[in-house]
Amino acid sequence: MKVLAFHIGTERYGLRLAGIAQVLPAAALKALPLTPSYVAGLLDLHGTPVPVIDLTQLAGLGPSALRFDTRIVVVDYAADDGRVRALGLLAERVQGVQEVAQARLSDAGVRGAAFLGQVATGDGAMLQLVDIEHLLAPDVRALLFPVGQA
Amino acid sequence: MLKDASIKNKLTLGLGTIVAIMLFLLALAYNNSQKLAAANEWDRHALEVMVESNHIATAVLQVQSATRGFLLTGNEALIEPINAEFAEAKRHLATATRLVVDNPIQHDRMKQLAPMLDNWMSQAIMPQIALGRSGRRDDSTREIAGTEAAVLLGARTVAAIREQINQIAAEENRLMTLRSQESAALQETMSLLLTAGGAVTVALAVLIAWLLMRALLAPLNSLNRTVGRIAAGDQSARASILANDELGKVAVEFNRMAQAIQDSQAKEQAASADLRAKVDSLLAVVSKAAAGDLSGQVTITGQDAIGQLGQGLATMFDNLRSHLNNVQKAGIQVTTSATEIAASSRQQEATGIEQAQTSVEILSTTREISANTTQLLRTMEQATAVADFTTSATAEAQGNLKRMDATMQHMVTATDSINAKLAALSEKASNINNVLVTITKVADQTNILSLNAAIEAEKAGDAGRGFSVVATEIRRLADQTSVSTWDIEQMVKEMQSAVSASVMGMDKFSEEIRRSVGEVRQVAEQLSSVMDQVQKLAPQFDLVLEGMQSQAVGASQISETMLQLSEATQQTVESLKATSDAVRQLQYAAGDLQSSVATFSVNG
Repeated sequence: MKVLAFHIGTERYGLRLAGIAQVLPAAALKALPLTPSYVAGLLDLHGTPVPVIDLTQLAGLGPSALRFDTRIVVVDYAADDGRVRALGLLAERVQGVQEVAQARLSDAGVRGAAFLGQVATGDGAMLQLVDIEHLLAPDVRALLFPVGQA
Repeated sequence: MLKDASIKNKLTLGLGTIVAIMLFLLALAYNNSQKLAAANEWDRHALEVMVESNHIATAVLQVQSATRGFLLTGNEALIEPINAEFAEAKRHLATATRLVVDNPIQHDRMKQLAPMLDNWMSQAIMPQIALGRSGRRDDSTREIAGTEAAVLLGARTVAAIREQINQIAAEENRLMTLRSQESAALQETMSLLLTAGGAVTVALAVLIAWLLMRALLAPLNSLNRTVGRIAAGDQSARASILANDELGKVAVEFNRMAQAIQDSQAKEQAASADLRAKVDSLLAVVSKAAAGDLSGQVTITGQDAIGQLGQGLATMFDNLRSHLNNVQKAGIQVTTSATEIAASSRQQEATGIEQAQTSVEILSTTREISANTTQLLRTMEQATAVADFTTSATAEAQGNLKRMDATMQHMVTATDSINAKLAALSEKASNINNVLVTITKVADQTNILSLNAAIEAEKAGDAGRGFSVVATEIRRLADQTSVSTWDIEQMVKEMQSAVSASVMGMDKFSEEIRRSVGEVRQVAEQLSSVMDQVQKLAPQFDLVLEGMQSQAVGASQISETMLQLSEATQQTVESLKATSDAVRQLQYAAGDLQSSVATFSVNG
């Protein structure tokens, strides 16, 4: 299984390549008032507005720093009405694609944030997978992807 | 006070004092012996009382023993003396009572004794005798008991009486001891008084006798000494008046007599002395005249022989004196004139010598001046040479400075061109930076592209596996590009900072050079002004040199003139010496004349 490795704060995390639509350089975003602080804003993706979540802010570590390897990862998000919608994730220090053997994955065994998944051990530093479907709380999900809209 | 008393009074007073002291001593001794007699009287009195009390005790014992004898024997003859003995006891008691009238305690004791005796007689002795008599008649045992009681009572009473008598005797003994102590003290005082009083009296008598002897002998001795001194020739000797008594009056009269004798002798001596003085005065005047001194005045006048002789001598001396006066005056005038001439010629000579010395001094001074001038000339020449050298050196320095100025100008130009080249370098570096930005952007895009390619390859499944490898390579290439670009960027930044530091250094350097050029120009100007001044000095030095030379010539002329003057002065001094010798001979002659006349003294 291949994952895209990135950092939240000083820790390494990964996203399954299967769920990623594409990777974009960090661009200017339109701010969205009256949304939670981890909603970074709206991205203009070839004429389509895409909401962007700041992962560092979501983990409670303050807004992401804009570096040369800070990227927006566009993922496929299954909305409540069953449709697949595009969601941008602002991530720091996106290092590249990494192969993770299925055997090395194991459950964390600790209940932290809802979006944290399995942990890959061995091979240097640990890497924890991020589950895209558990990324947003229901109210935020309803806010960003209201049911019944095209 | 004692001094003014007459001899009779002195004698009376001295002897009277001694008699008074002796009387006082006798009175004290008499008083003490009276006290001793009284003490003896008291001793005797105590002894009498004790004897009387003993008599009483004896009489009581006699009565008691007689009664006992009668009781034992029944013999009536034994009780016959009882009444007589009792009467004896009473009589002695009365005597003792009378004796102790002065002592109340003893008197009471005696008075107590009288009733005790009466009681004893009436209640003890008389019943015993009566019982004894009746016992003899009927021999009843009842009577014997009565007799026993009476005897016991008698014994107790006798014991009491004896006790009383013993007390009296003890008291008298005590008093007697006391009095004998007093009388012993009195005796001691008496002997001390007699010894001390005798010693004081003898001492006082000796003192008074010595005072009297002194008062009588001292005036007599003084009178005696004075008589001895007058006999030895001391006319002024007088007796000292020590007291105002008869001897004092004798001394006063004696003094008056001695004074009268001294006065008459003095008068006689004055008359003979007057005559001797007149003769002496005449003799003195005549002897002075014989020695050549005619200044003596004869003051003796009168009608007697000595007076006429004096007048004749006075007339003769007056004539002689007037003649000699005239001669002396003439001699003095000659001497004075000769002395004046000598003095003036000596003064002239001194002046001439002084003049010669002055001219010599002037000569030496002039020589010094000419020597100094020569030295100055040499110095001035040296100064001129130095000035010339300074001028040439300054000119050379000016040329050097000009060359330096030109070099500095070259340096300024070179610096400017270096600055321009550095600016070009900086611009090129900026261009490189722009290129680098572009390369970085491209590398970033390539990185993202590789990521997306990997994602697409994953989505394609097995078909995309080869493409995935290519994507990985692209990404590595992009990463390498990024790193190299970053290195180049750092190098360019370092180069730019070095260039800007160089530009700043060059700016500072060119500024320094500009300032140096300004300073060099200033120095050159100053040097040229110095050169002008030094060149101006040379003609002034020439002027000074000419002045010096003319001064040297003048000094040598003065020297010659002064030499001639000196010779002339020398000649003058010699002629003045000749004059001086002549005047000295004249002075000697005048002195001879004066000394021959001076042996006669005219004025006093």
